[in-house]
Amino acid sequence: MRGELEYKIPRKGLTVWRLYGLIYTFFLSVIAGTISFLTYQFDWSAAIYFISASVVLIAAIALIWLFPKIRWDHWRYEVREQEIEIQSGLFVVKRTLIPMVRVQHVDTMQGPILKKYDLANIAISTAATTHVIPMLITEEADHLRERISELARVAEDDV
Amino acid sequence: MMYEKYRLHPISAFINFLKALKELLFPLIILVIVNGFNFKADGKEIWEYIPLFIFLLVVIFYLISGIVKWFTFVYWFEDNELRVEYGLFVKKKRYIPFDRIQSFNYKESIFHRIFGLVEVTVETAGSTNGRPEAEFTAITREAAARIERETKKLNIGQDKDGEINVEIGGAKVSDQLQEEAHVIHKMSAKDLLLLATTSNSVGVVIAGVAALFSQIAEYIPTDWIVEEIAAMIQFGFIFIMVIIFLAFLFAWILSVMITFINYYDFTVVQENDRIIITRGLLERKRIIIPNNRVQGIKIIENPLRQFFRYATVVVESASWGFGQGDTKIMLFPLISKKEMSEPLQYLFPQFTFDLEGEFVRPPKKSRPHFYRVYILSLIPIIGLSSYFFYPAGLLSIFLALFVLIMGLWQYKTNGYLISGNQLTLRYRVISRVTFIAEKKRIQVIQKRQNFFQKRKKIATVQATVMSGLAGATARVPHLDESDADAILSWFERTRGINKESA
Repeated sequence: MRGELEYKIPRKGLTVWRLYGLIYTFFLSVIAGTISFLTYQFDWSAAIYFISASVVLIAAIALIWLFPKIRWDHWRYEVREQEIEIQSGLFVVKRTLIPMVRVQHVDTMQGPILKKYDLANIAISTAATTHVIPMLITEEADHLRERISELARVAEDDV
Repeated sequence: MMYEKYRLHPISAFINFLKALKELLFPLIILVIVNGFNFKADGKEIWEYIPLFIFLLVVIFYLISGIVKWFTFVYWFEDNELRVEYGLFVKKKRYIPFDRIQSFNYKESIFHRIFGLVEVTVETAGSTNGRPEAEFTAITREAAARIERETKKLNIGQDKDGEINVEIGGAKVSDQLQEEAHVIHKMSAKDLLLLATTSNSVGVVIAGVAALFSQIAEYIPTDWIVEEIAAMIQFGFIFIMVIIFLAFLFAWILSVMITFINYYDFTVVQENDRIIITRGLLERKRIIIPNNRVQGIKIIENPLRQFFRYATVVVESASWGFGQGDTKIMLFPLISKKEMSEPLQYLFPQFTFDLEGEFVRPPKKSRPHFYRVYILSLIPIIGLSSYFFYPAGLLSIFLALFVLIMGLWQYKTNGYLISGNQLTLRYRVISRVTFIAEKKRIQVIQKRQNFFQKRKKIATVQATVMSGLAGATARVPHLDESDADAILSWFERTRGINKESA
């Protein structure tokens, strides 16, 4: 059994995920509202009200409360001298191992919401895949990016 | 100093045009359908001609741009670089240093062959962006040989450090290279026949033929059929059997023809750490894979071929060949498993191909995971179809049976094997796939666990190698968690040292 990885996503990350969920739910409720309005106008079946209301309710519970929490609980990462190990996932927990020698480049990304919360995503690219560690404190993300690119440079192919 | 500048063969203007036209084929078909096949030129409304007019304009545009591209295209050799320039308004220049050139891939379509020309694409070590570095649409064989010669001359000169006397004309260099060529594999007509017969595409072709037959059936006068039905019932069975047999025969012949066109004279040659594959009847293709660009090997056996102990060998390569579809390069389209290991061992001495028996298999507790969820998800479908199509709908139970059998078969097939720096993953969806890769070629290894797997302490493992843009992934489901962890630990470089120093 391999041990649990050391680092978690900062608590602020969970808040931002909840905010994303809130935005999705908002769009969903706009759609549901439009449908309900049409139902009222054209006198469609009353069942449509209940369906759209429950869809919005379920989406709200899942996207704002449940999914971010599960995802945040699963997220862990560790950057070691020779490899990066990431644990992620919602329903399927994925544990990914990326050797330092395979890392081609590292990017940090920050949208307006992340900027407001002083967070940044970090994307690690190999020749075949890209892996994202989301929601790191900006300063920490920059530091990590530099550290990874430094380690990737000195890592030698020993096989 | 002026360097002699070379140009493409004029026919390449035409080939450029044809290539562009091929991309237009689909919009054209849509245009025709939208117009409702209505090309009566009674000239009532000028509007009716507008789509046709636009289309004509586009065709003319492509024709002109094809000619312009040919007219402006020049290439020459300067300062140890292959230099290519083309374009009228936007000049495109591409200078490729000789020592970065990995390989030249050749293709000859019918047009090329009539005029004794070839299409050449140049590939470099760094070109992973999805396109070959340079494309020569049509040049004579001599010109192609000259490009190879010029670029190689300096390569050898640099590499061997004057050890071998290489101040020679190209002819001598290429002679020297020829000597080291070694034919690995050749497909006989019998092999091709077998390939066509056992390929998955036979099924596709049969489906196509069936669709065709059903289309034709619409044109058979129905009244006549009703009258004949009485007679048919007597001969019906034989009649239907004959029809089915003919359909199968037709599909098979079609499949054989397609196979012959694509794989005629399939030859694998090894030469100077490169694998050279040539194939094709109407369109000859030559693909070169430098040995160091091979990322992994897949040995694929569909159930039919597994039964006859035959397999397909595919090479995952970082090369691009002739674009997207060629990153998976068929090394042996069909080869007997008995004869397979010797040429493979010769081509890839770094691997071991002695793979029978030693696989670490999934534990017994993971067996239900191969079919349980799928059968459960089938229950509503079976229930509904049994209810709505009562007697016939019950047949859907066989679907569950099929899923169960495939699941058990997958359970029996799956496994992994670590031998030194080599990871071998074996899994099955329908065909059995044996995926072989070196540790240094594997980009990422991932262990995946859903809730049910976690509870039973089993895990799915997948390995990704570089292949084209997205990479190629092999996935073995439901291994014991400790085995999955063992694969991860194997992939880690210096875990032991790390732990000590920490």
